[in-house]
Amino acid sequence: MESITVIIKTSKGMKEYTYEGNLNIPVTTLLERINVKHDIKIHYSSSCLQGLCGSCSMIINGLPKLACKTFVNEEATTKKMHKITIEPLSKFHVVKDLVVDRTSMFENIKNSRQWLEEESRINQDNLEFEYEASQCLMCGCCLEACPNYTGEDNYYGAILPVTSSKISKQESDMDKLKFLKENYSNHFYNDCVKSLACENVCPMNIQTQRAISIMNRHSIWKFHKLLKKITE
Amino acid sequence: MVKEIIVIGAGLAGLTCSVKSASKNMHVKLFSPAHSERSQSVMAMGGINAALNTKGEDDSVNEHYTDTINAGQHINNHNAVEKLTNDAPEIIDWLSKLGTSFTRDDDGNVDVRYFGGQKKMRTAYAGARTGKQILTAINTECRKWEYKDKIKRYIGWRFLSLILDDNKVCRGVVMINENTEEIRDFYADFVVIASGGMNKVFGKISGSLHNDGFVSGKLLHQGIELANMEMIQYHPTTIETPVKRMLITEAARGEGGRLYTLRNGEKWYFMEEWYPEQGALMPRDVVSRSIYRVCHEDNMGIDGENKVYLDLTHLDEKTVKTKLDEVYDVCMNYLNLDPTREPIPVYPGVHYFMGGIRTDDAHKTNIRNLFAIGECSSQYHGANRLGGNSLLGAIHGGWVVADQLEEISCENNSSEEYEILNYEYEAYENWKELQKEANNISSYEIEEEIANIMNRTMGIYRTESELKEGLNKLDSLETIHVNSHGCYYDYILLKSLTDIAKAMLSSALARKESRGAHQRLDYPETNEEYLKTTVISFDNDELKITFNDTEERMSW
Repeated sequence: MESITVIIKTSKGMKEYTYEGNLNIPVTTLLERINVKHDIKIHYSSSCLQGLCGSCSMIINGLPKLACKTFVNEEATTKKMHKITIEPLSKFHVVKDLVVDRTSMFENIKNSRQWLEEESRINQDNLEFEYEASQCLMCGCCLEACPNYTGEDNYYGAILPVTSSKISKQESDMDKLKFLKENYSNHFYNDCVKSLACENVCPMNIQTQRAISIMNRHSIWKFHKLLKKITE
Repeated sequence: MVKEIIVIGAGLAGLTCSVKSASKNMHVKLFSPAHSERSQSVMAMGGINAALNTKGEDDSVNEHYTDTINAGQHINNHNAVEKLTNDAPEIIDWLSKLGTSFTRDDDGNVDVRYFGGQKKMRTAYAGARTGKQILTAINTECRKWEYKDKIKRYIGWRFLSLILDDNKVCRGVVMINENTEEIRDFYADFVVIASGGMNKVFGKISGSLHNDGFVSGKLLHQGIELANMEMIQYHPTTIETPVKRMLITEAARGEGGRLYTLRNGEKWYFMEEWYPEQGALMPRDVVSRSIYRVCHEDNMGIDGENKVYLDLTHLDEKTVKTKLDEVYDVCMNYLNLDPTREPIPVYPGVHYFMGGIRTDDAHKTNIRNLFAIGECSSQYHGANRLGGNSLLGAIHGGWVVADQLEEISCENNSSEEYEILNYEYEAYENWKELQKEANNISSYEIEEEIANIMNRTMGIYRTESELKEGLNKLDSLETIHVNSHGCYYDYILLKSLTDIAKAMLSSALARKESRGAHQRLDYPETNEEYLKTTVISFDNDELKITFNDTEERMSW
């Protein structure tokens, strides 16, 4: 039996709990056990409890993570001596305790018209990448870690190139492809400083840089070629 | 006139119904506790069945039909299964066109693999994350209709009640916003329930926490008939983790994984010995009972415990890491075990509810203008579901209902005033009063007690005495005053769970035979008399059970 201090920071302030027991558990299980032991309800989002649904992203010891895939022993004993700090994501509206409202992120993707106008093109060579991009949980960890994303301006963060790169590979409607390029320039390319934080924190290990480079190739480099031709 | 549809639940069934209805120019209000990405559908791993017949095995829709009926032990709705298996290839084509990243064979066809209870390669898949890949594609399509204002999403809303008129016709729903606790009424021409399985009566099972069974319990109180509630699937291969029992997909066996235990220090492949033809790929109920037998009757579980080994170590490492990627991740993350090097300790765990809201082959419920689709509805799977038929059933339900909504004419909505909204307001105020009392019992304790009762009495094998004892215990929970920690939903959930639990135990008591997932130690034989659907409903506050014809159609 080991004991740790659990610090939960919410808009209501900071509360400390002592947890005793098996530390080889994810943070979601830790929260559940604290609730039962103290007969309280710390609100947090969770659904699958095994890293498949993206509900439970929160800040754990300063970094955005999925609580269900983050183990207490690794966080509390190796990084901080028997202490773990849990907070809600900071770039979204906090609903209650650790629960945030991520609607803004979904709205941005909807307004970016991230859908296919025509039947999907099928190219075996692209399948592996499309599969990877489709794994995006829309958990918001990449936006939380991004130095450029504030949630309050026109910058949509890494989820945009991730969804757009897949759709660009599947779409055959020329007008839509043109829109996707312009949308990418307006809502991503002009503001991303390439910190790579999104790729570091993605719980699905999606290669966001690959998605970004695909979109750059689609959207930006062609303009450069054109410019070069004109100036020549 | 544009038809107004309300859909409760935004997993694959609800999404499909919404997208298809929107494409037919109907207006959809889509309610869910969270975004679709959070739904249980993303947890479906192994694949989706369709007789594509691309492997030169002479597969056919007919064989898919026969395998489904045989696995369900002949109490499936045969007409529903016929439509399901017929439409399956077209559904795969639709999903493919929507951009689902299915794994493909060298010829560019959607690849298919072996799955339990089927002798032909018939299960289309996308790695071992088929549900997630399909959901991403349909969700992408859904965005289009949201943008065009054909679908309006209501996130964070939970169902409270149906609005029924004097003729018991469904006119709409009363919902509660979980965050603000606002209670509101919404009206529509048709309501479609897609609220998923009844997981929470067993505590935590392999599926999502969102699919708690609350909606089914509430509907039971409003006159809905539930069907085959005793039919609960134990998936043969789940692993014990500190979180919950997690699933190892059947695809692991489909790709060649073998089940063994140790007998005199030697590996004993008991499934291959007992069932030489299909081995570990027998239907799930058979595999689960076999593992039970090894552990409890032969006392040959690994290390004397309730577990046997699922062995993937002989498979090509690339197969495990690409076609079974999710299995690899789960084992590494939650067992600290590399399945390419060590066998996985497994034992059966509760996974799926074949029973639920009684629907006919058109997905109609016994209440006019109310449909149910996906895992919450019962018709396709009978006494045991085939792996790969749940994704198919979920999508097919949405597909079939959208087609009908287009056809069925709807009467003008009357401007009646309905009492139910006031009733829900009052219930909420009563709860507030009750929470002021000291010495209320914690809702966590009651939840745990219900789960204990269910796990004890509704295991792989059941007996009359245990079931009766379980029912008595559930009765005694009803009078307890509950502290739900300031959360109204947690409070009303308990009442619903108790009712669902009772309906399951009562149905299990009434079916005095053993069939598929329902095994009675006191009635070990299958009995022709029970080639029927178990139907349970409230009749003057008492649960009433009848056995009805499996193909019976609703009267509207």
